[in-house]
Amino acid sequence: MRAWAPHVRKLGRMNWALTVSALALTVAGVLFIFSATYAHGSRNELPMHERQLYFALAGLVVYVAFTLIDYRALLRYAGVIYMFAVFLLALVLLVGTVRYGAQRWIRIAGPIGVQPSEFAKLAVMLFLARSLALPGEALQGWRPLLKRLAVVVLPVALVLKQPDMGTAAIFLPMAGLMMFVEGVRWQKLATLVVLLCLGSGLVLGALFLPEKLDVAQAPAQRALGWIGVRDYHRNRILGFVDPNRDPRGTGWNKIQSQIAIGSGGAVGKGWLQGTQNLLGYLPRSVAPTDFIYSVIAEEKGFVGSVAVLSLFALLVGSALWTAMKARDATGRLLCTGVATMLFFHVWVNVSMTIGLMPVTGLPLPLLSYGGSFMLVAWAALGMVQSVHIRLKRDEAFQIV
Amino acid sequence: MASNESKSAPVWRLSLVLALMTGAFLFLAGALWRIQIRDAAAYQGDFNRQSARRVRLPARRGRILDRRGRRLADNRPSYGVAIYVEELRQPGRIERTVEHVSEVVDRLAEALGLERELSEQAVRDHVVRQRPLPLLAWRDLDEAALARFVESHVKFPGGKERIPGLDVTVESVRVYPYGALAAHVLGYVGRADPERWRGESDADAESDATYDFYKPAVEGRSGMERAMDRTLQGEGGGYLLQVDALGFKHEELGRREPVAGRDLLLALDADIQAAAEQTLDGHIGAVVALDPRNGDVVALASTPAYDPNAFSVGMSHRDWARLNRDPGRPLVHRAIGGVYAPGSLFKLVVAIAALENPGIGPAQTYDCSGVFTVGNHPFRCWRRQGHGPLAMRKAIEQSCNVYFYELGIAIGHERIVRMADALGIGRRTGIELGGETRGLLPDAAWKRRVMNDAWRAGDTCNLSIGQGALGVTPLQMAVMTAAIANGGRVYRPRLVLSPRPDNPRGQSAEDLAFSSDRVFMKGDLIADLGWAPATLETVQGGMLDVVHAAAGTGSRAKLDGVRMAGKTGTAQYRRDGEDRRFAWMTGYAPFDQPRYVVVIVIEDAPGGGGLVAAPRLKHIMETALGMPLSSERTGRDTGS
Repeated sequence: MRAWAPHVRKLGRMNWALTVSALALTVAGVLFIFSATYAHGSRNELPMHERQLYFALAGLVVYVAFTLIDYRALLRYAGVIYMFAVFLLALVLLVGTVRYGAQRWIRIAGPIGVQPSEFAKLAVMLFLARSLALPGEALQGWRPLLKRLAVVVLPVALVLKQPDMGTAAIFLPMAGLMMFVEGVRWQKLATLVVLLCLGSGLVLGALFLPEKLDVAQAPAQRALGWIGVRDYHRNRILGFVDPNRDPRGTGWNKIQSQIAIGSGGAVGKGWLQGTQNLLGYLPRSVAPTDFIYSVIAEEKGFVGSVAVLSLFALLVGSALWTAMKARDATGRLLCTGVATMLFFHVWVNVSMTIGLMPVTGLPLPLLSYGGSFMLVAWAALGMVQSVHIRLKRDEAFQIV
Repeated sequence: MASNESKSAPVWRLSLVLALMTGAFLFLAGALWRIQIRDAAAYQGDFNRQSARRVRLPARRGRILDRRGRRLADNRPSYGVAIYVEELRQPGRIERTVEHVSEVVDRLAEALGLERELSEQAVRDHVVRQRPLPLLAWRDLDEAALARFVESHVKFPGGKERIPGLDVTVESVRVYPYGALAAHVLGYVGRADPERWRGESDADAESDATYDFYKPAVEGRSGMERAMDRTLQGEGGGYLLQVDALGFKHEELGRREPVAGRDLLLALDADIQAAAEQTLDGHIGAVVALDPRNGDVVALASTPAYDPNAFSVGMSHRDWARLNRDPGRPLVHRAIGGVYAPGSLFKLVVAIAALENPGIGPAQTYDCSGVFTVGNHPFRCWRRQGHGPLAMRKAIEQSCNVYFYELGIAIGHERIVRMADALGIGRRTGIELGGETRGLLPDAAWKRRVMNDAWRAGDTCNLSIGQGALGVTPLQMAVMTAAIANGGRVYRPRLVLSPRPDNPRGQSAEDLAFSSDRVFMKGDLIADLGWAPATLETVQGGMLDVVHAAAGTGSRAKLDGVRMAGKTGTAQYRRDGEDRRFAWMTGYAPFDQPRYVVVIVIEDAPGGGGLVAAPRLKHIMETALGMPLSSERTGRDTGS
């Protein structure tokens, strides 16, 4: 009993706003996954909401563990972790399970599997935090900047190859904001952003111009295929621009999600009463995962959707608050990375459900059904807490 | 330490990041406000549009009653077995649901001992196109099969649970309790084309809410069913369904009951109608009976007829083809759509036209030698030896051709045509039925136009005895006779007593039926021709003699104790290279206070009007007047 006392004391010092908002979101996730699968039941023996509950409990264990483990110990092994993540990303391309036209999973046993790309987010965050905080390295030149960029580009390329554009895209703002916070000149970052925009413009041009200009599409397609762009990306973008082009096909999810959210109105139709969801207009395959926000917005209305948004704002804000108070650069960088990762997931996912962005397949942290990301999200939050309970400078380094 | 030097820089940078993220969240909140508050109604509308289906329900069809309230057309319940597809849906491809439903139909057929009526394709069509509606596996089940369905729990082989989604449905089927009686007047119904209601919208819902599905409804295809279809049809109702993303029924959201169609009260009297049809039995012909006081049509018969019940449950192509190919053309309504040379019946028109002409009186006499020559063409009297000198009344009684040749030439064909036209010959009478024809009243202009020839004296001779191009319908002859009986008033023949355009929401048909013997409804007067008393006296007297004089051509129609006026006719025509004749008779009774006019025509008759038509007319008149029926039906040929 006595041996636990200092750990419990440490836990008492944690960032409670972060914990409370994360727990609230997780509970909401379980409740609305229940609602999203209510009408048709689950094809598996264990209903989805129950499985999500177990994921969440596992997540809490991970959370406490990552809180107690000193983040500096993790940083010490950042290189190994990074190499392992890259190895897994390469492995998934070889032995991964294909779902929805992409190779994202490594099956461990039966239906249990992991998504290496989710863990890669943490690995890259840790590795980048360490390398950006290396003492004596001036970040003002191009060379050190590009060296660190290469750290990000390798896993991004592997994730693109799966292909999983949404996840790949998350790495870039995460890395960019970590660099920005650590003092890289904004002009340099702006240059990189402009270059990135030019690159995406080139991809979009290759996707749509040959057809518009009525020239051969094969060479452009081959080039696009090599960088991981598939036909369904093209259709998703088309479906975003004009959802009525093929309302039963690509544009369907977007239209139905908008109708679900819009018809929810101010206070919503009530829990288990979301007709868009119950009648299957919001497709049952995506309602508990990528479109869980539509279910909440339909059943709880504007009040509910803004409440969820506020909880995420609180979550992200308290992570950044910890970043501001962090005792060292690596802690600050880790918290920034976690906040950025969560923020972009939330922003892109919500924008997608309300029709502001194309359908990308990025889950909503803590809310969307899924084990890998649930664990990763809690681990990331645990790292923030690990920084938070060690704010005082005089605290000696201990692994746990 | 490095952190010392960069302490202040990260803070403003982090603050900027925090501000930007907060701004981004606020932006999302703004977008949510736009969708969930500002445009919520539009999205709610989108949701309703994609998930609501309106189904039109037909109203109960109005009944058709005879003047005494007897149901000539009614509705009967028809029980069927319905399959609620949404309760049998299978996950995966829709074809699996089709197969499953088909399997259920097989199980049902086995359990009920019925032959399967729905093909696999019919099941597929329903599941693909009409998914939210129940599928009718059998219609019109007999009681035994129905009882088996209600009592047995239909299960899958080896299964324990009852197959879900099965129920009994009731549909309304049109039925004609008297069978073929008045078939041509009543008409028949057929499955209505939903296109008909395409523009109709659900009055309770938003203005643009038209129906998505239409429950099978019938519409009148002929006769009264067609002519009064709007009245009988009533006002359709509907129900609102919520369907899921695959189009299966989720639940019923609301219902608006249809408003039943109004009953129709006809002037027809089923007893007189039955007597008329009975007298025509085995012949091709038509009977019209009407009330000369107001034009009420109490019988309107045409033979051969058909059983309209055969149409109600759907007629096979073979039966339909047989009806259409029948040389007797049973679908033609001869009483209003058959065109016949009126023969001697038309002499009444010539007589009136002459008498209304100053200079010719009842005493006008011509000598009949049996033949009348125009140019070098002889026009003969039906009595070869001639009638000798006759005055008008006698000429009518004897139906002397030569007398009317002379008379026609004397007054000229224009006067005859004018009088015929005033009596409605060559025009539609305006009875409330489709399929009425005009007939043909030839004049000089017609002959110039059609034959490119001048009107000649021979044409006048033919016209004077109701031959030549002249063609009339039995109904026109009845209207003409009614005018003679009532003193010169031409009424529009009337079949519908209620509801009428001038009184669309008045007394209900049934109430009116049980007071109709006392309530005498004013007729629809087209013209009062204002004939001189002498004219009427002569023509009516001649017609009285036709029946009652010893040598009258229509003496076989004579009634016991009731005086009747009449006129026989026999018109020659050629068909298939053979000489044939129409046997006609028109009559009204009682002579002093006429209540009924009866006209009968028989095609391809074995004898003239006096022989073939007169006894039949008598039978109908006896029925109409409520007299004991005499048994004599036919007799010796007396000519006409």
